[in-house]
Amino acid sequence: MLSLQHISKYYQVGGNKNFVINDISLDVDEGEFVSIMGPSGSGKSTLLNIIGMLDDPSTGYHYFVDQPVHQMKEKQRSALYKQYIGFVFQAYHLIDELTVYENIETPLIYQDVKGSERKAMVADMLDRFNIVGKKDLFPAQLSGGQQQLVGIARALIAKPKLLLADEPTGNLNSKQGEEIMELFRKLNKEDGVTIIQVTHSEKNAEYGSRIINLLDGRVESSKKF
Amino acid sequence: MLKNYFKIAWRNILRHKGYSIINISGLSVGIAACLLIFVILQFELSFNTGFTNYKSLYHVATKQIGEDGTTYNPGVSVPALDALRIDFPQVKFAALNSSYGSQLTVPGNDPNNALNDKKFSEDVGVFFMEPQFFDIFHSDWLAGDKSALDQPNMVVIAQSTATKYFGNWKQAMGKTLKMDNVLTLRVAGIIGDAPDNSDFPLKVMVSYTTWKEHPKDYNYSHEWGSLSSNHQIFAELPQNMTAANMDKQLVRFTAKFAKDKTKVTRAHFLQPLSDMHFDTRFGNTIGDHSTSMATLRILGLIAVLIIVMASINFINLSTAQSVSRSKEVGIRKVLGSTRKQLISQVLGETTLIVVFSVAIAVAIAELALPYLKNIATVPDNIRLFNAGTMMFLALTTIAVIILSGIYPALVVSGFKPILAIKNKITAASVGGIPLRRALVVGQFFIAQLLIIGTLVAVKQMNYVNDADLGFNKSAVLILPGYTDSISLGKMQTFKQQLLQNPQVKSVSFTSDAPSSDNNWGSNFYYNNDMKGATFGVFMKFADADYFKTFGFKFAAGGGFDLSDTTRQVVVNETLVHKLGVKNAGDAIGKTFKLGGAKKWANIIGVVKDFKTNSLRDAVRPIVILTQKEYEGQAAVKIQTTSLSKTTAAVKALWEKTYPEYAYSGYFLDEKIAKFYEQENKLALVYKIFAGIAIFISCLGLYGLVSYMAVQRTKEVGVRKVLGASVANIVFMFSKEFLLLIGIAFLIAMPTAWYLMSQWLQNFAYRIPLTAGVFLLAIVGSMGIAWLTVSYKALKAALVNPVKSLKSE
Repeated sequence: MLSLQHISKYYQVGGNKNFVINDISLDVDEGEFVSIMGPSGSGKSTLLNIIGMLDDPSTGYHYFVDQPVHQMKEKQRSALYKQYIGFVFQAYHLIDELTVYENIETPLIYQDVKGSERKAMVADMLDRFNIVGKKDLFPAQLSGGQQQLVGIARALIAKPKLLLADEPTGNLNSKQGEEIMELFRKLNKEDGVTIIQVTHSEKNAEYGSRIINLLDGRVESSKKF
Repeated sequence: MLKNYFKIAWRNILRHKGYSIINISGLSVGIAACLLIFVILQFELSFNTGFTNYKSLYHVATKQIGEDGTTYNPGVSVPALDALRIDFPQVKFAALNSSYGSQLTVPGNDPNNALNDKKFSEDVGVFFMEPQFFDIFHSDWLAGDKSALDQPNMVVIAQSTATKYFGNWKQAMGKTLKMDNVLTLRVAGIIGDAPDNSDFPLKVMVSYTTWKEHPKDYNYSHEWGSLSSNHQIFAELPQNMTAANMDKQLVRFTAKFAKDKTKVTRAHFLQPLSDMHFDTRFGNTIGDHSTSMATLRILGLIAVLIIVMASINFINLSTAQSVSRSKEVGIRKVLGSTRKQLISQVLGETTLIVVFSVAIAVAIAELALPYLKNIATVPDNIRLFNAGTMMFLALTTIAVIILSGIYPALVVSGFKPILAIKNKITAASVGGIPLRRALVVGQFFIAQLLIIGTLVAVKQMNYVNDADLGFNKSAVLILPGYTDSISLGKMQTFKQQLLQNPQVKSVSFTSDAPSSDNNWGSNFYYNNDMKGATFGVFMKFADADYFKTFGFKFAAGGGFDLSDTTRQVVVNETLVHKLGVKNAGDAIGKTFKLGGAKKWANIIGVVKDFKTNSLRDAVRPIVILTQKEYEGQAAVKIQTTSLSKTTAAVKALWEKTYPEYAYSGYFLDEKIAKFYEQENKLALVYKIFAGIAIFISCLGLYGLVSYMAVQRTKEVGVRKVLGASVANIVFMFSKEFLLLIGIAFLIAMPTAWYLMSQWLQNFAYRIPLTAGVFLLAIVGSMGIAWLTVSYKALKAALVNPVKSLKSE
């Protein structure tokens, strides 16, 4: 599905290069559920952002569904990830001014999906996540777990092949976190969505089929189950 | 998608109510001001364009070049008319002679009782007019035609005038109308009313030949040397003739006929009709309303500046506010929004606010419209909506959207999504800080420019209004009268009766008040020298009591011995000095003769200079002489203790003595104040718009500071924990703005100095531009800005740091 080859990301500080990601190579196949772990500052989030094309690596090659991302222009990249990738964030990042319904609908608007079709797709998603009754509420009126559900629903609405999650349970209590993880597993198993998540929690990491440990911008260990 | 944008925009407006109110009120006040200025400009610039052939119409004007400079006169001497027709057979000429302040009388049933007559005083709009006038200026004829003016004692009146006089214009034809109790006229034609935007307020048009038959009553003179601004000639050029071409031939024409022995060179030239309304060299138009282009330009400039200021507010606030929207923008980008889509979203919000503001602006303008005539000469029935203003509103809306929307849109859409999502966008990283500072400087530059302009204009107008005119203008009642023989015969009795009233100090009969916009001039000869003087003289006819009534001071000699002598004249110091006579006393006893006069007179007095015109102009050379037939006005000096009672008594006596005339007395000081109507209006315009400018810039400042206060809550908390006092915090907020205002002042000062010294050039008598005005402007604007800032700053400083730091 995607392949990173000798990816580095650094900042020039004085005469020195300050590496955040240092020569990482990584292949992820379709249908995998990868957990990335590591201490603060090890480069987990940066790696996830590079995979999600929100951030550019300083050097290295990046292929996504066999296309060379490192050669693409901003517009092409945007078109590519719009089609294939969904994001889930630790802080949910719902748009405060929009209702639950509108938040879920937004990615479809940007993909030029027709109004009637959008309606059906959002209704379907609300149904699936059991939040039909909350569709007219604003994010501030929801609990953290509910907000993250909406965040995931929004990430999935455009039927992405790859779901990127940056500490999706970081702001939730353990019970809410468990529910989210169960949902991820189900998505991965039943719908075949490839998932890459960054997490601090050993327990959550074990939901994945592979755990990658980062330290100081390098892959320290990688094990498959 | 569009619906989505507007929905979000609407929610954003409601969510940030404070900012929205600041934005909308600033914009709507600004746009309303601009709209009103546009209405004024549209009206003024449309003058005389109602005549379909106005591009080929010209006004033949006169300039007189003497050794001491050039003066302009809208009039042409009477004999020139026939000469022009002979020399330029291909050009259509038409002449008119204005009769300002004439009285029209509709006789009652009883010819022996004048009290039953209906009397109407017309300040402007009464003319002796050639029928040819209607060949070149189109009018709608409701009855009769232009041939009516071929005959003497015929009059054509305008529709609304006819309705006013006779109740119904349809009944006016053939009726008798008396003018100044001298002429008995028959109504022989009715024309449609002149539009408001015409310099020809045609009301009563008496045939030109009537004028010729009453030379004494209406100052008809067939002398080449005599030049009155009342007698004007208009021309329509044929297709194949340009104005430049004709001007060249006019030089030869003037040389041929002006056989004056004076050294004043007179030249005629063409003034395009389209320039007539804006040409201030001639004093005023025959419609008594001219507007200088400079004034219109200043108005236009003010309008643009106001819009720019309102837009600057918008830019400042929305870029500052965009920081708090960074998260939304980041998310949208992650969800797949392109930059273009974000730009259109932000522009959509701007559009909503601007359209909303325009709607409010139209409402404000509609409410303010009736007051527009206080700052500009617009008709009472002026309308806000027409094709032009709609176009203007549309263009303004688009311009403001672009001006104030593009920059914030580019800033917002340029956020890096990762930084934006993580709330790492700060006011500093938006990068707009230098720009925002520049914009604040720009705003205060404009505001201070207007403040300085206002102060200078107000000071100058106070100076002008209170200036020492060289004579006493207060408590002098002017009674415009008539110079027909019956009226003249009653004069002495009237005077004696007036003087019996102990409140009346003195009475003088005169042609003209000392200061007036009248400019009746002539060439003259001095000291038996038949070569004539190198400059013209302006005439005032008056009796012996003139000098006492107006309190003139003499530099040498004194006033007339008798009121009916033609052998004695009084001149002013300017005339004496211009003749090269050093000592005023040396002119006493010298001889003096007007151009066209037969006998020499003696100079028996030299009055100290008084202001002969408005203070825009320098003092003119003046001769005061007696000539009973011209002394129709009575000047009545009254004790100041009982003005209104005495005025009423004078009025009653007037009506008893002259039953056939309408009373139209006025106080001289009020008339003199009218000289400066335009300037006083401009000073008022400055005041209003400086106020609006200050309001808008303070609004912007307030918005910025309140935003800053929110942004710096944490910093303020930390500083307070570290021991900063409330005063320290307030100073922290104010110092930057005070610095910016200081910079703005450094730019505004020289600009304002330059602009206002230009404006002051309009006045021959003007105030010096002193440091005081500038000092007041900077102290004032800093004070106002500080008050604006300190409220919010104080509020921020008083927050308990425990609260402001808790959220972290």
